[in-house]
Amino acid sequence: MTLYEKIKSLYPELTDRDFSTVIRLQNDSDGKGDYIKSWNHPTLAKPTDEELA
Amino acid sequence: MGDFMSTLIPTGSASGTGSMTLAAPVTNSNQTATLPDATGTVMVSGNMPAFFAYVSTNQTVSSNTNTKIAAASVLFDTHGFYSNTNYRFTPTIAGYYQISGGVGPYGSGIPTRAFLSIYKNGGEWIRLQDIATNNTNSPQYVDTISGSGLVYLNGSTDYVEIYGWTLVPSGTPQFQGNANPFFTFISGVLVRN
Repeated sequence: MTLYEKIKSLYPELTDRDFSTVIRLQNDSDGKGDYIKSWNHPTLAKPTDEELA
Repeated sequence: MGDFMSTLIPTGSASGTGSMTLAAPVTNSNQTATLPDATGTVMVSGNMPAFFAYVSTNQTVSSNTNTKIAAASVLFDTHGFYSNTNYRFTPTIAGYYQISGGVGPYGSGIPTRAFLSIYKNGGEWIRLQDIATNNTNSPQYVDTISGSGLVYLNGSTDYVEIYGWTLVPSGTPQFQGNANPFFTFISGVLVRN
C-alpha cells in the first residue's frame, strides 16, 4: 500500500485535488520512498507515523 | 574629415599565465566578425553547457505523489554538470538556463491528470504543464506532457531537477521510459550569462 493509499484509508473524505494543493506527497527517487512534503489541510490533522505504519 | 576608426584594445588578465589566440578559419574568402556594441562576455561553445538525460525503462511511481524523474541515461552532457545518480543539474557556470522536461504518464491504470515542474534547490520553482481529462470517455487520458522555463543558476550551489505527478484512479502508475522518441526527460542549455 502506498503512502497515498494509507492516507486515503485514514481520511476517505480527502479528494484528489487535496493532494495537489494542501497536501503534498513527494518521492526524491533516492530509495527512501514516499513521504509527506507538506500538510496544510484546514481541518484534518497530519497523520502520525504510528497511523501510517 | 575626421578619423572614424574605433580601436580594438587587447588587455591581459590581472592574473593567470595562459595566452589568448584568435584563430582564423580555413578559408579563401575574406570574412568579418562584428563584435556587438555592448559590454559583456562572449559566448562560445566552451562556456555554453548543454545536456539531455532521459528515463530509459519505465519508472514506477505512486499516484498523487510528486516524484523526481530518475533520468539515468545521458544522451549528452557537454560539461559533466548533470548527475545521473541523483538526477540533478548543478552547473559551475552561472547564467540563465533554459530547462526543459517531459513526463509520460503510463502504467496499468489510466492517468487522468498529470503535471510536471522544475524544482530549483529542492523546491517547486515552475509548474510547467498541468493536464486533466474526463475519464468517463476511456480514450481520453493524459499521455505525454512537457514544458520549459528560464531559470537563473548561480554557478555554485544552485541545481535543478524535474518532478512529475500523475493521478491514476486504479492500477500502478509509471513514468514511461523510452528512447526515440523520448517521453520522460530533462534537458537544459545556457542561454546567456
